[in-house]
Amino acid sequence: MTATQAPSLRTFHMSKAFGQLQALDDISLDVAAGSFHALLGENGAGKSTLVKCIMGFYQADAGQVMFNGHEAKVRSPRDAHALGIGMVYQHFTLVPCLTAAENLVIARADTPMVINWKTERKRLDAFMETMPFQVRLDALVSTLSAGEKQKLEILKLLYLNQRFLILDEPTSVLTPSEADEVLGVLRDMAHRNDVTVLMISHKFREVKTFCDSFTVLRRGKCAGTGDARTASIAELSHMMIGDAGLRPPATRTAAPKSAPALHLNNLSARDVEGRHVVSNVTLTVPAGQIVGIAGVSGNGQSALIEVLSGQRALESGHITVGDAAFSPTRRNFDRFKVFGLPEEPLRNAVVPRMTVAENIAFRSFDKSPLANRLGILSPARIRKRGAELINKFNVHTSSPDAPIETLSGGNVQRAVLARELSGAVDVLIVANPCFGLDFASVADIRGKIMESRNKGAAVLLVSEDLDEIFELADQIAVMSEGQITYLAATADTDTMQVGQHIAGHGK
Amino acid sequence: MSVISPTMRRRFRPDARIATIAEAILIPVGALIVAALVFSVFLLVLGKDPVRFFGLVWTGGAASAFSLQNTLQRAAPLILTGLAFAVPARIGLTLLGAEGALVLGGFTAAVTAIPMIQAGWSPWIGLPLVAGIAMSVGGVWVGLAGWLRHYRGVNETISSLLLTYIAIAIMNFLVEGVFRDPGSTNKASTMPLSADWRIGDIPGTSVHWGLVAGLILAALLWILMERTTFGFSARIAGGNLRAAQAQGLPVGRLAIASCAIAGACAGLAGFFEVVAVHGQANASLAAKYGFTGILVAFLARQNTLAVVPVACLFGALAASGGLVQRRMDMPDATMLVLQGIIFVTLLVSETFYGRLPFFRTSQSGDRT
Amino acid sequence: MSDAVFSVLMAMIGGAIRVSTPFLFVALGETLTEKSGRINLGLEGNLVLGAMVAYATSYSTGNPWLGVLAAGAAGMVLSAGHGWICKLPKVNDIAVGIAFMNLGTGLAFFFGKPFIQPTAPRLDAVALGNWSATPQVRQALLVNPLFFVGLALAVILWWMLKSTRWGLTIRMTGDSAASARAMGVSVDRVRLLTTASGGFLAGIGGAFLSLYYPGSWNESLSSGQGLMAVALVIFARWNPLRCVWAALLFGATGALGPALQSIGISQGYYFFNAAPYILTLVIMIISARSEAASRAAPSELSIVK
Repeated sequence: MTATQAPSLRTFHMSKAFGQLQALDDISLDVAAGSFHALLGENGAGKSTLVKCIMGFYQADAGQVMFNGHEAKVRSPRDAHALGIGMVYQHFTLVPCLTAAENLVIARADTPMVINWKTERKRLDAFMETMPFQVRLDALVSTLSAGEKQKLEILKLLYLNQRFLILDEPTSVLTPSEADEVLGVLRDMAHRNDVTVLMISHKFREVKTFCDSFTVLRRGKCAGTGDARTASIAELSHMMIGDAGLRPPATRTAAPKSAPALHLNNLSARDVEGRHVVSNVTLTVPAGQIVGIAGVSGNGQSALIEVLSGQRALESGHITVGDAAFSPTRRNFDRFKVFGLPEEPLRNAVVPRMTVAENIAFRSFDKSPLANRLGILSPARIRKRGAELINKFNVHTSSPDAPIETLSGGNVQRAVLARELSGAVDVLIVANPCFGLDFASVADIRGKIMESRNKGAAVLLVSEDLDEIFELADQIAVMSEGQITYLAATADTDTMQVGQHIAGHGK
Repeated sequence: MSVISPTMRRRFRPDARIATIAEAILIPVGALIVAALVFSVFLLVLGKDPVRFFGLVWTGGAASAFSLQNTLQRAAPLILTGLAFAVPARIGLTLLGAEGALVLGGFTAAVTAIPMIQAGWSPWIGLPLVAGIAMSVGGVWVGLAGWLRHYRGVNETISSLLLTYIAIAIMNFLVEGVFRDPGSTNKASTMPLSADWRIGDIPGTSVHWGLVAGLILAALLWILMERTTFGFSARIAGGNLRAAQAQGLPVGRLAIASCAIAGACAGLAGFFEVVAVHGQANASLAAKYGFTGILVAFLARQNTLAVVPVACLFGALAASGGLVQRRMDMPDATMLVLQGIIFVTLLVSETFYGRLPFFRTSQSGDRT
Repeated sequence: MSDAVFSVLMAMIGGAIRVSTPFLFVALGETLTEKSGRINLGLEGNLVLGAMVAYATSYSTGNPWLGVLAAGAAGMVLSAGHGWICKLPKVNDIAVGIAFMNLGTGLAFFFGKPFIQPTAPRLDAVALGNWSATPQVRQALLVNPLFFVGLALAVILWWMLKSTRWGLTIRMTGDSAASARAMGVSVDRVRLLTTASGGFLAGIGGAFLSLYYPGSWNESLSSGQGLMAVALVIFARWNPLRCVWAALLFGATGALGPALQSIGISQGYYFFNAAPYILTLVIMIISARSEAASRAAPSELSIVK
């Protein structure tokens, strides 16, 4: 492994359009050698497009990239790798069924046809000795924790001798303490001039604590740049959001206590490989309150939601609504007025190829007036009711008859809201409702969830976004390794305490 | 909420439904034309005349009253087996069990009719009973694949094909053994049904009543799948199982019911093969109607009404097979090759749905 | 009595080796394909087409080994078509498999008509039992060289998946297409190549059917062996070495009927014919919800989702 100096990278007047949409408009970015640079912006601001142009996934319409002071032509990710530019993606690109060592070796451009594991292993051990952190080389990646995987992703880039690291929201899958450890190591490496780091982020705390400089994008344009250590959070957020100002948080009003509460008693469930993913979860969601479950993804929150919505078998324990036993069947959903906004609606809530109107009818198609007592449907009424709710919930679609897969993510989620929240709601089960959505949709959706609470519904909210939990929840629980490890009223806790419990260090 | 304004009522484009329907008709027709072209090239390479071939298919399948009746005769079981594939396909199950259900249905029809005949029952009572038994046996047989899928996680495609092989083996075993008619020296068969227990032809034709049964079932199943809550639930489950579960739909029962309906259709086909065509059960029951039905259903895009004309098309191919064989000196497998080519082009055509520019209903495209 | 048991046992061992060979080839081919994250249900078509091509080639050239190669080539072409179509968006790989099962059998019957009557040179077996004086033993240990080729292939495949660049790339593609793409691997090309190679092996399995056991070409030569091999792969948990044992087990079940017949028990012959199918079904039921199997399954595979 030849010791290489940290490189610098600049872009000049980069522009890129997708059809009508100007994703990047004259962006100039300057990342100095040996610096830790943050790239900030809202969803859809163009951050991903910019780094994908740098990586060669997209070709910019105009502008150029200077790498170490020379113009670089990057036509494909392969070119970028050859220059020494590597990227860590939001989702892991490690192969779960291979060991850490196999992942490293196969990532190389010059993997030999026949791999001599003895010599490879010696070289890997030698490489690992020079690294500031370690990962078990013989472990299957599927058995590593999220933090270890993220470290392995970074090790992989260094192993490939890529000294310009692009990280796309690298801490979104990490606990706060794991995040701090990884970012701290990267900052130290940058300051030793071993690497240069460009990190996409929207977490001001991380940017302020670890980064040297920053660039903010807003709607494809450069909205500001400067020194991360001196910029204030108010300045940063103003650059990100613009004159529209901060989105007003959803208003909370005193709710009537008429509805029944949702009780989870000692719930346990397993995954297909037989591991316990939900262990003895006991939790009460009172009427007129939102109980938020925080945690890093993969700690059983999704499985818990699946149990409640009938997608995963309950192994033991029982659920009650008010005093009555509840099991996730259609009859009970109607009887107890239980509604849901599952995560990834295209995967969990809609049938992509059915029309928008049909998707909106999923809750009501088997009841009057959409169907008669013999179970005969009225397609005309389904369509009419769909059209009404499309208007009421402001779903952008060319027609109620368009397949729902032709809609954007925000509009799919609005169609699901239209279906689930158009009537009386006693219990609402929500998981990551705003993941990957644009600014306007986020405001809409959080507002609707709060509205349900204000009308007296018991709301269970699972979210990986701590800000969302703090904005919406009345009580906050933390889920770690399938168990509820912490529960407190939002007023009595703060991000530090919750973060520590997410990290598993709470007492 | 800043963006919601009640005054913002949008006009919807009326053409979305029309575009969907046009697409669902034109793409399969296009695939058929491409398949015909590919097959023509195949014939040309072999030094045969494709024009003559398709001319003979027309002559043998549709040109005269005789050939039309021949076509309809062969279409009858194909409608039923096509339905047997289409119904579970709507719920997302790919079942290859129709052949087995047909064989078992036909076999049980033959062996349960015998004691009734011997007891001197009237065919007016006995035949509906036998039909019901054949449908139940078929329904249970294919329903088993649905049960295994839902409660045991067994891939239904493979299990249903295995069940088909097992069904054929069971029939052979029993026909060669306990139920063998000692008189059947040439080919082991069950006892023949007496003449009054044979279902005749539709008056004025040489087409048996199985065609009418197929037409009625196709219409009933269309209503079931398109206009009832059962069908709507099945379509949700077929389109996205997780979404169906989250709606609290009884996905397991829906799947098993769909499979049972499929098996009943195939069992009924077997019933008609025995009481209207063969008059007894033997190895010729396994005539691959079950497998051709898969292709019928695919070309009909699992729409139970469209199954009828498509079954007639394949009935015509089968009806003209003999003529092609004699006049052009080609093996009987010619039609198998044509079917295979149609099947493959049809699946390739799936990729064009929603991607042909003039069918596209404008994407409401505020990308995030 | 013990003589009869001995006879049945020897006939079963010999039969297991004979019957298992096509299973082994198809299963190894399917393992390779499925390791890359694609399922090919069409191998039944490869088996039948391979059998016909092998027989016809052996008949026309007089060299059965040329027939074996030709069968592999035919299988490869057929599966390359499968691989090519499956890479199109929105196309269902299970349905494509069924279509190719039909197309392969159709082509085999179409071109195979003239070869049903004539006798083609068959593959010679290696006599491993000459040390024994017992005719049953000598008969049982008459082993076709293709069986050993299959054994060697299993070991080679196992080693390749573990210790070569290709092997790791295939496993990566099968486990996480996204990762493979991020690494610049063309997922479609890898799957096309593994599907085509899998088809080659399945074609050879077909050659064994027509050129060795049962050793002639007719239209009822294969009845679902190609499909059973797919189930066998799940049972073998995508491990080429376990495929050998699984194939032998299937072979032994398939040999049960003929073995009993060889000592004069012909009652229930048709019932014993069903034994391999029933065994397959039972095995599928056992392995479907098996936690070990779901751990070993390539996660891109549509059949386990």
